[in-house]
Amino acid sequence: MTEARFSLEGTRKPGITAGRWVLFFILGIFVLYFLTPLYVMIVTSLKTLDDIRVGSMMSPPSEVTFAPWIKAWNGACVGVQCEGLNGYFWNSVKIAVPAVLISTLLGAVNGYVLTKWRFRGSEVVFALMLFGCFIPFQVVLMPMAQTLGFLGLAGTIPGLVLVHVVYGIGFTTLFFRNYYITIPDELIKAATIDGAGFLTIFWSIMLPLSIPIIVVTVIWQFTQIWNDFLFGVSFSAGGGQPITVALNNIVNSSTGVKEYNLDMASAIIAGLPTLLVYVFAGRYFIRGLTAGSVKG
Amino acid sequence: MASLEIRNVVKRFGAVEVLKNINIDIQDGEFLVLVGPSGCGKSTLLNIVAGLESMTEGQIIIDEKAVNDVHPKDRDIAMVFQSYALYPNMTVRGNITFGMRVRKIPADQIESALNRVADLLQITPLLDRKPGQLSGGQRQRVAMGRALVRDPKIFLFDEPLSNLDAKLRVEMRTEIKKLHHRLGSTIVYVTHDQIEAMTLATRIAVMKDGVVQQFDTPQAIYDQPANTFVAGFMGSPAMNLISATLVDENGALHVETNSNKGETLKLKLHHPQQSLRGHVGENLIIGLRPEAFGDQELASGDNPAVRHFTCLVDVTEPTGPDTLTMFNIAGIEVTARMHSGSDMRPGIQGRFSVDMARAVFFDADSGNRI
Repeated sequence: MTEARFSLEGTRKPGITAGRWVLFFILGIFVLYFLTPLYVMIVTSLKTLDDIRVGSMMSPPSEVTFAPWIKAWNGACVGVQCEGLNGYFWNSVKIAVPAVLISTLLGAVNGYVLTKWRFRGSEVVFALMLFGCFIPFQVVLMPMAQTLGFLGLAGTIPGLVLVHVVYGIGFTTLFFRNYYITIPDELIKAATIDGAGFLTIFWSIMLPLSIPIIVVTVIWQFTQIWNDFLFGVSFSAGGGQPITVALNNIVNSSTGVKEYNLDMASAIIAGLPTLLVYVFAGRYFIRGLTAGSVKG
Repeated sequence: MASLEIRNVVKRFGAVEVLKNINIDIQDGEFLVLVGPSGCGKSTLLNIVAGLESMTEGQIIIDEKAVNDVHPKDRDIAMVFQSYALYPNMTVRGNITFGMRVRKIPADQIESALNRVADLLQITPLLDRKPGQLSGGQRQRVAMGRALVRDPKIFLFDEPLSNLDAKLRVEMRTEIKKLHHRLGSTIVYVTHDQIEAMTLATRIAVMKDGVVQQFDTPQAIYDQPANTFVAGFMGSPAMNLISATLVDENGALHVETNSNKGETLKLKLHHPQQSLRGHVGENLIIGLRPEAFGDQELASGDNPAVRHFTCLVDVTEPTGPDTLTMFNIAGIEVTARMHSGSDMRPGIQGRFSVDMARAVFFDADSGNRI
């Protein structure tokens, strides 16, 4: 309740007015509206199949079971193999972590060069990179496939890392460039006179000042890459697929009974990492998005 | 410490010439102030001296060695920036020692240099704070400390006081002056504040539109401005520039102009310079500092150069020590600095005196001093 410190005494009427109750009521309805899907997912994932068949969608499980979760993790059938999401989850980690780190670092270097070491044509380079942000995924599929084939990376995890790095550089460069443009050039001049070179300035001055924008970029890139389906389904094969593709294969497998509890548990597992990133770093995300307005 | 020579420096951005053949030469231990309105090229010139910007033509010579192709870090200079440019992620200690750490100077030497500077600037208690936790004046000191710790050949200051409030600015001005006396270092200082220029400099270069208008000692610039721009820019209130005609009456030179009511105002010159003889009958501009005027009632009267006249007083502005009195001559508002004991009031016919020995004359067309 920190806002109490900032509100002046006597500026707010005692008690809550009728208008405020109406407001809270409407807000409450929205909260329920947005939480319902999550509720249904969690509840369904904890029910047995019989329970799902007899009960209503909203009712709590009559008997809580974790069997669907366990099956989703290591027993669900993805295509013909029934080993669960386990391996695909780690595939996604192996794709997302290096791709996020590399694209963020490259974005930082690009932003640094485009703002503090401008060269003839640097604005054009930036415009082209910005242009890259607006190219739809589908457009690059064919050329990307050819490139991966040429490099011998088709259908491999390093190949997907490369795809995501290339596609992400536009965004990460944009983030860092817009952040670094608010850092005064005099800082660079001072460091130059102090004897620091290109890399020393980057490591000892720019990067330590970049924490907010690094957090923003990492969250953004992680969410994009983890949730990516199109590149995953296009450029991976067999055991190298990311979790999004595996999830699709579980949910869309058309043999036997539809196991809703398994589908829900799988979907939650697939979505959990990005959710956790938001929970732990979300406040930095908000702070980072507005950081440019405050002078460094 | 070293001498500095700026020789024929030209800087162009495309077709725009921002510095036009600059020549400035100072000796070891001098305090050079580059002053001028914004956009006159003074900061560009400082950056060129620092090596942070390239020049199109010319030479920068530090200690008799041309440094055109020397990287800023090897020019042995230190610079204080307008925004201070402290590294926000480092403590005061980190800021001051950054340059030495980059240069891999042994830790014990860094420590002793740090302590020397911290003592000098009285910032020892602040060493472990971050710049964000410092006040404007403290940041300013740290920025100076970062420059001082290196013991460079030349110090460069880029409007270092312009972000401080008025009182602190005057204090820091005095401190910089003391520091210069104590260290005897060569300093180049950029400012748009003519009072800073007057108080600090051993020599001033007044710049406008990329041209050095005058390069001289503060007193010479104040008393004998090279042209009407310098006359108007240096000094506050500015020098009064009154258009007048030079007339010869029986061998004695007079200036003739109109007071506000259209009456002829004729003032005899005192020992006029010979060069004025050639301009008899011409229109010229006479420059008189506000303090060249006085109140007849208060004049001691033994100065042979003093002339008297009366004029309608428009406005008075008491500042405490003196009263600024405005009146109109030849359509120009003239400001006179009166002693605070003066009885000048708006609406009265003020009885003024003026010391014609302090008058300077400018060509009406070129604006250059005759």
